[in-house]
Amino acid sequence: MIQINNIEYSPEEYEAEKASNSYLMSLIGAIAGLPLPIINLIATLFFYISNKKGTYFVRWHCTQALLSQFSLLVINSIGFWWFIMILFGPKSISNDFIAYVILVLFLNLTDLIATIYSAVETRKGLHVHWWFYGDLTSLICKP
Amino acid sequence: MTKILFQGIIMIMIFFVGWLALSKVDWITIFKIEQINKNTEEKLGDLFWDLFNKPDNEIHDRNIKTVVDSLLTRICESNSLDQTKIKLHIVKNDEINAFALPDNHLVLFSSLIIDCENEEELCGVLCHELAHIELDHVMKKLVKEIGLSVLLTMATGNSSGEIIKEAARILSSTAYDRKLERAADMKAIDFLMNANINPEPFASFLYRLSEGTSEIESHLAWISTHPDSKERAEYIIEYCRNKSKNFKPVVTIESWERLKEDLEKI
Repeated sequence: MIQINNIEYSPEEYEAEKASNSYLMSLIGAIAGLPLPIINLIATLFFYISNKKGTYFVRWHCTQALLSQFSLLVINSIGFWWFIMILFGPKSISNDFIAYVILVLFLNLTDLIATIYSAVETRKGLHVHWWFYGDLTSLICKP
Repeated sequence: MTKILFQGIIMIMIFFVGWLALSKVDWITIFKIEQINKNTEEKLGDLFWDLFNKPDNEIHDRNIKTVVDSLLTRICESNSLDQTKIKLHIVKNDEINAFALPDNHLVLFSSLIIDCENEEELCGVLCHELAHIELDHVMKKLVKEIGLSVLLTMATGNSSGEIIKEAARILSSTAYDRKLERAADMKAIDFLMNANINPEPFASFLYRLSEGTSEIESHLAWISTHPDSKERAEYIIEYCRNKSKNFKPVVTIESWERLKEDLEKI
């Protein structure tokens, strides 16, 4: 699911640090923004915009971090509003809802592990390529 | 591009298949959700009822209880509601009020019964409160007004008397959402129709209370907790217009009049 691709380009120390920080931003955002799922996306987006004119290595990793947050935003938001509907609206707790919460927790945990791993490896200057998100990033982010 | 699309579709499929597989597990039983809800409601219900249950406040007169129970029995039996779970309390009070508390407590103030002109009006009020219970509006209102964490604190016995009093006041003296009121009205009419009880007197009751004279307005708690009564009376009439049935009385006129006389004496 995650692979380290060999690239000819060897990033500078500051590039590796910025690229690594793009993953850390989503973690910090998640800690600060719970339970609102939009906060970590905003944090990552802010970091992406501020590095829009950075080198390809930095931009690429900022984009990958941002794209992964988009998917999480969608599934977390659905879970959040579903929960609000149960608390205040006509819906009640069901097996479907609990199954969804378990799945969302699992995906968030997976994303957390992948993000930490990516932050560590990127800091070493390695090019961490996620399944699906990596290819999508390469499509969007051009050298 | 094709590869990314394929991967995206695979990801979405994994998500939905995973969700479908997980939802086949009976999590409600595993996590004992219903039992936890039941215990919390029981504790909250007892807590609130203790506030209203002052010495000599609840009416236990056999004749009064028999008549009101007869009305409740007709409604419950016709609508497949479990009457044994409804805890009906008739309380001596000058306010014209009726309300539901957690754990299926249904509280009727004596003045409300006295103010009803016939059994159908009282049945309408009973059905309306039963609808709030059946549609789980009571707990939803509490969660919305005072918050889930405060409720859980109360259920575990760690909250102050003032908070409990405030929560009880919210349940007995403030309105539900307009949406919830409408849903309860519609459900109440269905209950009445199924029980062969004419719902129009219930609309008349609402209309009459909404035009309450100034000297009794201060006692009209039920109407202050149920605003827009004129509008509600109108949509109740509209809703049951094409649903006329053979309505049957539940108790005799003599029993009804005796009930009111007995209540006035207390």
